[in-house]
Amino acid sequence: MTEYEAVIGLETHIQLNTQSKIFCSCKADSWNDPPNTNICPVCTGLPGVLPVTNRVVVEKAALLAAAMHAEIQPVSFFDRKNYFYPDLPKGYQISQYDRPLARGGYLDVPLPDGTTRQVTIEKLHIEEDAGKTKNDNGRRLIDFNRCGVPLIEMVTGPDLRSADEAAQYLIRLRQLLRWLGVSEADMEKAHLRCDANVSIRMVGADYLNPKTEIKNVNSIVAVKEAVQTEIERQIREVEAGKRIEAWTLEWDEDAGVLRKMRSKETEADYRYFREPDLLPIHISEAWLAHILQELPELPLERRARFISQYGLPEYDADILTGERSLSDYFEAAVALYPSDPKRVSNWLLNDLMRMLNESGKLASELRLTPDYLVEIIRLVDAGTVNTTTGKSLLDKVEASGKRPGEIVNAEGLAQVSDTGAIRQAAQQIVSANPEQVQSYRKGKTTLIGWFVGQLMRETRGKADPQLARSILEELLSE
Amino acid sequence: MELCDLSAEQIASLVHKREVSAREVLEATLNRVSLVDGRPGQLGIEETTPDDEKYVHAFISLTAERARVQADEVDRRLAGGEDPGPLAGVPFTVKDIFVVRGTPSTAGSRILANFVAPYTATPVERMEQAGGIMLGKVNLDEFTYGSSNESSAFIPTPRNPWNPAYVPGGSSGGSTAAVAAGEGALSLGTDTAGSIRQPAAFCGVVGMKPTYGRVSRYGLIAFGSSLDCPGPVARTVKDATLMLSVIAGRDPHDQTSVTVPVPDYASRLEAGVKGLRIGLSPDYFRITFVDPHTGELIERPIDPEVLAATRRAADVLASLGAEIIEDVPMPHTHYGIPAYFVISRVEAASNLHRYDGVKYGYRTPEYVTDLRDLYRKTRGQGFGLQPKLRILMGMYVSAAQYSEQYYVRALRVRSLIRRDFETIFDPSGAYRLDALLTPTTPTTAFTMQEVYGDSVLMQYADELTVPANHAGVPGISLPAGLDRKGLPIGIQFLGADYAEATLLQIGFAYEQATLGEDWRKRKPQVVERLAV
Repeated sequence: MTEYEAVIGLETHIQLNTQSKIFCSCKADSWNDPPNTNICPVCTGLPGVLPVTNRVVVEKAALLAAAMHAEIQPVSFFDRKNYFYPDLPKGYQISQYDRPLARGGYLDVPLPDGTTRQVTIEKLHIEEDAGKTKNDNGRRLIDFNRCGVPLIEMVTGPDLRSADEAAQYLIRLRQLLRWLGVSEADMEKAHLRCDANVSIRMVGADYLNPKTEIKNVNSIVAVKEAVQTEIERQIREVEAGKRIEAWTLEWDEDAGVLRKMRSKETEADYRYFREPDLLPIHISEAWLAHILQELPELPLERRARFISQYGLPEYDADILTGERSLSDYFEAAVALYPSDPKRVSNWLLNDLMRMLNESGKLASELRLTPDYLVEIIRLVDAGTVNTTTGKSLLDKVEASGKRPGEIVNAEGLAQVSDTGAIRQAAQQIVSANPEQVQSYRKGKTTLIGWFVGQLMRETRGKADPQLARSILEELLSE
Repeated sequence: MELCDLSAEQIASLVHKREVSAREVLEATLNRVSLVDGRPGQLGIEETTPDDEKYVHAFISLTAERARVQADEVDRRLAGGEDPGPLAGVPFTVKDIFVVRGTPSTAGSRILANFVAPYTATPVERMEQAGGIMLGKVNLDEFTYGSSNESSAFIPTPRNPWNPAYVPGGSSGGSTAAVAAGEGALSLGTDTAGSIRQPAAFCGVVGMKPTYGRVSRYGLIAFGSSLDCPGPVARTVKDATLMLSVIAGRDPHDQTSVTVPVPDYASRLEAGVKGLRIGLSPDYFRITFVDPHTGELIERPIDPEVLAATRRAADVLASLGAEIIEDVPMPHTHYGIPAYFVISRVEAASNLHRYDGVKYGYRTPEYVTDLRDLYRKTRGQGFGLQPKLRILMGMYVSAAQYSEQYYVRALRVRSLIRRDFETIFDPSGAYRLDALLTPTTPTTAFTMQEVYGDSVLMQYADELTVPANHAGVPGISLPAGLDRKGLPIGIQFLGADYAEATLLQIGFAYEQATLGEDWRKRKPQVVERLAV
């Protein structure tokens, strides 16, 4: 049987998280807002209006371009892309065409097998979003809220080789966008949109076959499923001796099937020309330097550094760099507890991550700051509290915002290491539970755990568990 | 002299001194409108009557009540010791290509006939804030596409106050006709290829196209966005100066409006022309055009009376101490119209996309089968001939397969035209001109329907004005006499970027030096008739 490989390129639209729209001062994010509430004469294209470029859009776009290793152009231009559609109020979209903000670029995508796929960027430019059209019982309703929301269009080369790789690319892109703080990158909210171009060819071939374009994929899982489905379909078609035609397909997520939207006729002519209402974007060296001050260490770089600098396992490093604020938190904590980064990592992975998941907060939003966390770890290290108390302190600090030490004092949580006090409690438990003592002495020594539990309950968890165990064993063996 | 015939400067001065009220000036002006304007342009009129042929028909919407409220407010503020601004009580009209909140803003087109704007154009707002009283919106060529004012969907279209059998020029013909006839001392026009200067020449008034970016385009319904310039129409150079001072300057709503500071234009007005270098170019003394049938280039000298007036102006300036430089080459002048044909239409076709019957304006009342049918019928019925011609040509020359051959090439020609101006105004170059003196138009006004319908010939009315739009430089047209038919002749001064002050200074010197000439005592027919 012939071996095929998939050739996939992704076209993404990234909604920037600016306060205002790209060419007017309307609020950019209209999630959950009623239709046509964030609009003005400019974004609805009334006669006589003019666009004015939002500087923050340029800055965020340049930041992303830098992170994608693209070449930021000192001069770029806006162009008009002309077409008619009811949700495009001016009848043209202001976009960039032959002189975009940035050229080239790539994203390194680590793959589960340990290799890295370098995905090249063929296009990266700024444009405005259009509105939304919706059919309602034969009427067509238009919501202009989304008109003029700033977008980055970013198109990869045909570099991805499987549905899985396509998903990995999107996961890494989403991570990067959030890391940079340029987009919320939520696919379900259409902050990150993706169309996939898919073709197949014989393994080893260096030509490209006709491709299909899959639209309407609204999650990373959907991209993976849709692309996989399409690869399988194309293989079936080719095996059956048929040709692949350049269709545009739509992914029906509920049914898990691709539907043909249209045959790709000749390429539409958008009659691009320079937008005469806007000046070219001039990015001076000074401005660029100012923008790049905001460029942080990128997630994959930081991941590699966590492995080399702190000796973390790849698994830990990957999770800790999944999100910027978590990795910043880790570094802040390690700076205060440099002796054992892995111990800090364990606390983060086991406990802090749970708190973040439950609360939906970012690490930077916790009242349990890195120095409070380290204080707790040190209290456990010193034996002032036992591990269980230490862990319960996490939530107490988060709830109250108080220092761990303060809580330990106020609530009397310090570990009881006084042999006399523990022995007294142990004796009471032994005399109050003759049946269990008998069973233990007959050989059911696993009951020791039960005895320790009773003792801990009696001391409200403060007893040093090691000490409690040895005293109980001593009393029970008498 | 009636109040409505006073200059803006005189009115503002009298109103400030409270010698007359803004309301009195307004009522006198409204009275003039009622006497000379006839019925306003409106939709649904197929034929004009012989009676219509006696009137100016400058207006589409006369907003008298709104104006009375504004005038009373100016008077109230003055009574309270406040200064309403430099245009206090000055009645003005606005070309109906600017939006004004709460008034119909039609662009002279059926497709926008029912559009009432929710915001006001920046230059209009500035004039109102300076105490000016807006009388209403005046007629124009549909979407400003024309040079005779005959293409408006609002009929009767404006006529020339000097002789209503003639066109007022266009596309700001309503503006220049109104100012010439005493229907407001000032008018806000727009100039994309000569649309202020050409009708100013035809109607015997002062019209200025400022440097591109000097006056905000916010609220100007776009034609050729890279060429459109709002500018003043007035009866005197001083009034044009006054109006420009009010409307010029950076507007945060228009990114192409410049941050260059606005100089005090009035302060240099009386500085004279001694030592200024003023050029004459043979390339502006002929028109060159392509014969639409044979494709051959045809060269024709301009009207000898117009040429004579231009030469006479040079003599006047020379006698005032200006240095006249002859034979200044402007070699790319005759490419101005072909390049304009391409560039303006590409922009116009795109600018007209938004009129689709979906959001505002005209929507076909007929049954439509689908979206495309809605677009087709709405635009087919809503647009007149001129927008349709521009859409067809604009779509054609910007299509992927033709763009390089036409649009991109036209842009290169535009750079060459710009270079012509840079060369002659270069302060260290061979010519070092302060201004170029040219005729504004190749001929004086033509009669109604004489040229209309021949869109190629019509465009050549702009051959001497369009280069300034390509280059972005300022130009001013001034009255310079009357021809044998009693029609006004216009001369034009062109200057370097932001040289408005120089042009006004030269214009003022010329105007003052010729105040005593006989033709200056003549009045437009429609005004003269009132005195009888």
